[in-house]
Amino acid sequence: MLRVGDVVTAYGQLEALKGVSVAAESGKITCLLGPNGAGKTTLMMTVTGLLKPKRGSIAFEGQELVGLSPSEIVARGVALVPENRLVFPDMSVRENLEAGAYLRRKPAEIAADLDRMFERFPRLKERAGQSAGTLSGGEQQMLAVARALMSRPRLLLMDEPSLGLAPLIVEEIFRIVAELNRDGTSIFLVEQNAHMALKVAHHFYLIEQGRVTFSGSPGQLAEDEVIQRAYLGSKRG
Amino acid sequence: MMIDFLQSLVDGVLVGTTYSLIGIGFTLIFGVMHKINLSYASASVGGAYCGLLLVGAAGGKSALLVFLMAAAAAGVIGYVVYLTCFRFIPASHPLGTLMSTVGMLLLIDEIVVHATFGVPVAYPPLYEGPSIELGELYIRPDYLMVFAVGIAAMTVLTLLLYRSRLGLATRAVSQQPVAAQLCGIALYRVNAATFVVTGVLGGIAGAMIGASVGMLSPLLVLPLTVKGLIVTVIGGLGSIPGAIVAGLMVGGFENVLQYYRGVTERDLYVMLLLFVFLVFRPGGLFAAKSERN
Repeated sequence: MLRVGDVVTAYGQLEALKGVSVAAESGKITCLLGPNGAGKTTLMMTVTGLLKPKRGSIAFEGQELVGLSPSEIVARGVALVPENRLVFPDMSVRENLEAGAYLRRKPAEIAADLDRMFERFPRLKERAGQSAGTLSGGEQQMLAVARALMSRPRLLLMDEPSLGLAPLIVEEIFRIVAELNRDGTSIFLVEQNAHMALKVAHHFYLIEQGRVTFSGSPGQLAEDEVIQRAYLGSKRG
Repeated sequence: MMIDFLQSLVDGVLVGTTYSLIGIGFTLIFGVMHKINLSYASASVGGAYCGLLLVGAAGGKSALLVFLMAAAAAGVIGYVVYLTCFRFIPASHPLGTLMSTVGMLLLIDEIVVHATFGVPVAYPPLYEGPSIELGELYIRPDYLMVFAVGIAAMTVLTLLLYRSRLGLATRAVSQQPVAAQLCGIALYRVNAATFVVTGVLGGIAGAMIGASVGMLSPLLVLPLTVKGLIVTVIGGLGSIPGAIVAGLMVGGFENVLQYYRGVTERDLYVMLLLFVFLVFRPGGLFAAKSERN
């Protein structure tokens, strides 16, 4: 579904991605695990068009994404739940969701999806008229997920959805991830929380210092080692 | 004595709507791009000139037509300002767009001076009629018209921002540009639209100033730029309600001081007001006090 081939993305002279190749299969949950600064967020921003790669290709359902603008990429069916959620703080929960459906033109379908989101995330329904900035971290994360879903993506990218959340909330978020996948959304998840990610992943990659260092299914590598490498990288120990 | 104070206050507040509009323009562009567009007041007066000169050249006489043409021309100028001063200038450069807009301010000013030989031109009043008397207070009809048009423009802007798709996109970009792009909102388009909309507002303000003073002159540009920026600071950068209230406030304040201290001294007190705000309320009228640090 998504094929990232030998992508190099640099900030000035500094190469954050040094030739990364990963793939996400249709209907599956794919995870990319790695420590801070390994290039996880850079990869997400490159796939969504926020950053331009120096070289490499990104194909989604056979179509090249490199060179397209972020809005063109959303229109093709790829949505990102960004790191730190990035909700629109002074807009109501409902308006945040409407913004997620910005590219869609059929009000009736948007309204139906809005109801569906409120059904799936009852907390958001309770707070529909409230400013998103007043929500708790967990609620903001759910809003960010729901906002991304409002564009009806075929592939949902998620950048560290567990970041800064209490363990109970993290479990809830991962339960939602599994649920979304069961309902047919393909998911590409970037995480540092290896323990939770391995529970839901069908396939996972390790990324360290801008390079993919492992690719396989959960169980192929001892969880201890994955956790060690996801938090610290393998070159420390 | 009291009635003179009230009279100057009312006159000032009514005409202060033009300051509010200019303040809104500065603040909206800042909200969306986090940049100051110093050419804004110049473009607004330029738009008013365009309305007058274009309609005049076509042999038209209608004050309404002059007014509408000013708004339309200023919208076009707004787009040109966006293209020339922002679109291709790196946003990361701390002074890049600031300098390009200073250049644009001077350019527009120069074009106006050349087109009119630097001589002020008469501007038709939008409305003529008898004054309204409220006890001893006189409400000038042209000022009342300026006020009414200003309020109407602000109402339309509010509806646009809070009830339209473009408004949703504009607010999204101003609050969280990265997330806005991830929602499929194209930054360049929202930015360009903001310049056109604020341009139209500026054109309306420019036309109203022309109508209330009875003429247009290149000398209007600099004071209007300074007053617009003062209103933006007092209202709080990025706050539209702040800009509205601050505009009326500065208008009233300035006119009262003009009455008591004369036209040469009044701007001194406006600057003093700015100073007081910068020291005690740097976040503007409606900001939480804790913003100072």
